[in-house]
Amino acid sequence: MKELLVEIKDLECKIGDQEILKGVNLKVNKGEVHAIMGPNGSGKSTLSSVLAGNDNYEITEGSISFLGEDITEMSPEERSWKGMFLAFQYPIEIPGVSNINFLRTALNERNKFFGDDPIPAKDFLKMVAEKSGLVGLDNRLKNRSVNEGFSGGEKKRNEIFQMAMLNPKLSILDETDSGLDIDALKTVANGVNKLKSAENATIVITHYQRLLDYIVPDFVHVLNDGKIIKSGDKNLALELEKKGYDWLTGNTTK
Amino acid sequence: MITDKLIYSSLVRGDSNTSLDLLRKTPFPSRKDEQWKYSPLKKLKKLPFINNSGFSVKSISTLNLPKMNGLILVLENGRVNANLSEFHKINGIKLSFLSSSKENDNPIINSKKENYFSLLNSSYLSEGISIEVGSGFRVQENINIINIVSSNDSLVNTKLDLILSENSSIHIRQYFLAHGKTTNGFINHNNNFIVQNNAALVLDKFQDLKNNFHISNDFIEQEESSKFISNTFSMSGLLTRNDILNNVNGEQCHSELNGIFTPFKNDHIDNHTTINHYFPNCKSYENYKGIMKENGVGVFNGKVIVHENAQKIEAFQQNNNILLNDEASIYSKPELEIYADDVKCSHGSTTGQFDQESIFYLRARGLTLKKAKELMILGFINEVIQKSENSEYIDFILERVLEN
Repeated sequence: MKELLVEIKDLECKIGDQEILKGVNLKVNKGEVHAIMGPNGSGKSTLSSVLAGNDNYEITEGSISFLGEDITEMSPEERSWKGMFLAFQYPIEIPGVSNINFLRTALNERNKFFGDDPIPAKDFLKMVAEKSGLVGLDNRLKNRSVNEGFSGGEKKRNEIFQMAMLNPKLSILDETDSGLDIDALKTVANGVNKLKSAENATIVITHYQRLLDYIVPDFVHVLNDGKIIKSGDKNLALELEKKGYDWLTGNTTK
Repeated sequence: MITDKLIYSSLVRGDSNTSLDLLRKTPFPSRKDEQWKYSPLKKLKKLPFINNSGFSVKSISTLNLPKMNGLILVLENGRVNANLSEFHKINGIKLSFLSSSKENDNPIINSKKENYFSLLNSSYLSEGISIEVGSGFRVQENINIINIVSSNDSLVNTKLDLILSENSSIHIRQYFLAHGKTTNGFINHNNNFIVQNNAALVLDKFQDLKNNFHISNDFIEQEESSKFISNTFSMSGLLTRNDILNNVNGEQCHSELNGIFTPFKNDHIDNHTTINHYFPNCKSYENYKGIMKENGVGVFNGKVIVHENAQKIEAFQQNNNILLNDEASIYSKPELEIYADDVKCSHGSTTGQFDQESIFYLRARGLTLKKAKELMILGFINEVIQKSENSEYIDFILERVLEN
């Protein structure tokens, strides 16, 4: 029996007056990889943002539960403490704050929430050495300001490095392949695959099928106009690659 | 007018009569005055200041300052509080208090700054400290000068005269503080510094004068190959004004003016700086960061003047500000005047609010909203704060900034 990790029910949301999600339903069990694909503007990034708790979006309908707990109104930090992780499509630069200091603060905030002691410096550094190897993150980037002056590829590696450090139960990868060359893509995908276990799950949001050659999904969903209009296995992604989205969305180009 | 209410200080002598004459001829500044366009002086003008020389600070530990090494000189309401001071002889330093020395012992520095408040200071001086660092002495101990106002409505006029002889160096830390619940006190201070050939001076200023006034007129003259670094940390004050005039009178000089100012509830913090490059081949760097909260008002008006013949100057000036509320405000005016044709200069100013996406990013990684904002503030001021090399002092400043 698979254990339910996250359940999205009839989720609707808007930003300002604009409705973006119009009734999304999705169940993700532990151990699974789900890919969410869809044309530009279909609501993919909004879905990932809302899952992580971005309050720029107003949830007007529906709910999100995580390990049986309703988290629809929960703060982003508490979602993070409970095991949710969003790898950003455009990782933010935080000048003046070192990567290492930031991560240590993040881990200690979580420890504090669970009533644990701060992580000892020695253990922390050991963990940094181990996890950064996973994605081949350049040593000097660890002490640099968060994402500042990083190349596109370095930023994405840094996201997966942070993911490895936080060891989440649910990882949402928002267009992690964008801006990556093929070698960087392989490294990043390899890192993600190494972190996969029977206890966690991954939602991969992507525009192209390419990434799914390396992170092989169990399920593929097509999001269009704020709704999931089709679900299938990995072959659906291949079909989309060949035919585009129009045959599903009903748009004709000519 | 302030002057009518005051008793003559016993220290008034020598050229102070001329100061007083000049002061009488100088009109009290108003907002019509370009130099005071962004800072109101109405309240200051109206207050009936008095001289009060009593002491009420019982111990230095109540001031919550960082650990200090070296000399500790405490001035309270403009008088030396010997019980709180830690004084010993340092090799190569000649130090004297104006109140206890003969006129001619003091290094005479003719400040090229003459404005209403610097004249008020020299006309009604409460106490002055003179320091002369002998040629070639690189002083390892810090000189800590704590200048406290602890009595309501008290006007305190203090000054520090400092001469760094050739090849010498020293690190001065000044603290300007209002004690406890003191209100409407006014520390009016003058710094007069001469940094001779190849000498180096680091000045850290910490200012925390909630509900009180503080004006500091700083005049620094640099000679050839000298170095001057000023770090100003202004936490609060009904009106805190730093007026820095840095004249670079020699080649191969290095000048740095850094600052962090954090006005919050009813505070007004004003940084006015002028760097005069009279000689070629010098570098100057100016970097001020403002964090405005509640109805706090910040002012940055920095001017760099590269005079004719001062070729090959590199001068960079930067002011960045964060407004944390809708009520907070900043007046930022970076200025460059260049009369030489082969120079590398830049100036810039930015003002913004916290980027919501950045806050969300940090929270999505598990930082609370409060922690996320703290980290953003630390990141914002990091570049400036790292200019102080002492980690205890850095921690002290960070803590105070985050408290605000």
